[in-house]
Amino acid sequence: MSARTQSAPSVRAALYEAPGPRTKRLIAVGTVLSALVVAALVAAVVRQFYVTGQLAPRYWSFLLEWPTWRFLLQGFVGTVEVALTAGAIALVLGLALMLGRTSGPRPVSAACRLVTDFFRGVPSLLLIYFFFLVVPQYGIRMPAFWMLTLPVALAASGVLAEVFRAGVNAVPKGQVEAAYSIGLSRWKTMRLIVLPQAVRYVIPSLIAQLVVVVKDTTVAYVVSYPDLMQNARVLITNYDALLSMYLVVSVVYVLINFAINKASVYVAHRTGVKIIR
Amino acid sequence: MAQESTTDKNVPVIELRHVDKHYGDLHVLRDVSLSVARGEVLVVIGPSGSGKSTMCRTINRLETIDSGEILIEGEPLPQEGRELARMRSELGMVFQQFNLFAHKTILENVTLGPREVLGQSKEEAEKYAMELLERVGVASQANKVPAQLSGGQQQRAAIARSLAMRPKAMMFDEPTSALDPEMINEVLDVMVELARGGMTMVVVTHEMNFARRVADRVVFMADGQIVEEGAPDEFFDHPKTQRARDFLDSIKGH
Repeated sequence: MSARTQSAPSVRAALYEAPGPRTKRLIAVGTVLSALVVAALVAAVVRQFYVTGQLAPRYWSFLLEWPTWRFLLQGFVGTVEVALTAGAIALVLGLALMLGRTSGPRPVSAACRLVTDFFRGVPSLLLIYFFFLVVPQYGIRMPAFWMLTLPVALAASGVLAEVFRAGVNAVPKGQVEAAYSIGLSRWKTMRLIVLPQAVRYVIPSLIAQLVVVVKDTTVAYVVSYPDLMQNARVLITNYDALLSMYLVVSVVYVLINFAINKASVYVAHRTGVKIIR
Repeated sequence: MAQESTTDKNVPVIELRHVDKHYGDLHVLRDVSLSVARGEVLVVIGPSGSGKSTMCRTINRLETIDSGEILIEGEPLPQEGRELARMRSELGMVFQQFNLFAHKTILENVTLGPREVLGQSKEEAEKYAMELLERVGVASQANKVPAQLSGGQQQRAAIARSLAMRPKAMMFDEPTSALDPEMINEVLDVMVELARGGMTMVVVTHEMNFARRVADRVVFMADGQIVEEGAPDEFFDHPKTQRARDFLDSIKGH
């Protein structure tokens, strides 16, 4: 029985041995030096901004106005809508692809494998162009929302299928044998014993993939869907404020993904406790 | 019904006829023939790699066989689907690594089969499950998850999980080999109790005292073959073959 500890520092402890006195001194010196280097770099950047006039009030003052933020907020909502819808579709589709691949009859399994590898391998931007430029040629009209959401979802589903498969493979064989031995069918074994454990194993990876989905939505400008990035671009053209706007938008994206990561740690902690081995 | 039960008496619960199995070039089971009568406790011993675990696992088709026949109460072991699942549900299996469902509580582990396979109601399943957990002595742990229990407690809960299906026979695949020494007896005690209650059992084990005390018959396997079988006292005191003598000498006293 290998115990899996829950405390955060354990990974660090597992990978590195505790530092001795010489190493500790080395670390202290290294920390101070790198802090100095970073500070110098930041100072250089800010100075360059000042020299080139990027810190002038006209580039920043619009950030103090409510309409700016209302517009950005609308974009934010757009991003969240696309990301959540695409994430949900990708979860269902990824699960279906994995199930088809691992437990379907041979032709189904081969087809699912092909589809998985295709979506996993093709850049999502290419899929978006496909939905934006190719699909309409065949008379299928869809709103910009779906021209963005579907390709992002498809691209993610390929990855999620593989994530789920890794989770299923991580469930010990004995769990399946025990389920069979009390007379559970293959399907019930998958549904009641394997999947619940597999999902718990991969929750961190699933949520990490949601971060990728959020970042994928930034190519919304291709289909002119008003997401955060697209609205930021509009503001940039309006106010000619490239630097300030990009800075603000990157901070917002970092915050979104930071929140997702926090949620992942929380969820993993809550569900992980139950399957310590 | 009455007639059926009389015929049942004569048909072995488990019968293997000329079973062969290979893992690639390795011949793991060689012409194994064996039958287990109702209420009999059969203990299988032998050096590691002798095929005894594999043999045990073929009985509910966790391992397939290359040739030969396996009969359960005279019926050929089904090869797949619903029939196989039903047959498995009638044969209990206890594993070396316990294999309790890690994401479910002990009570859920024991009630899962009765509810999902036998279609019992939650109340009915839980009532019997608690009786069984009481019997194996882990009733107070019913609402914990497996990881919170000691190995001995987990294995006893696993036995209760098998019993909840009211099996015709139970297979034990080295049930105490993964346990710390101080926990072996609590599991063996449960098994002795079961044997006394008339359960048909196939036990693969290294516990020679248990074999001597509880077995109706001992089967000694080596290199995938049944080398010798007989009553426990006779086998342990007067082994007929050199292989068995060597094996018994090798595990004797320190």
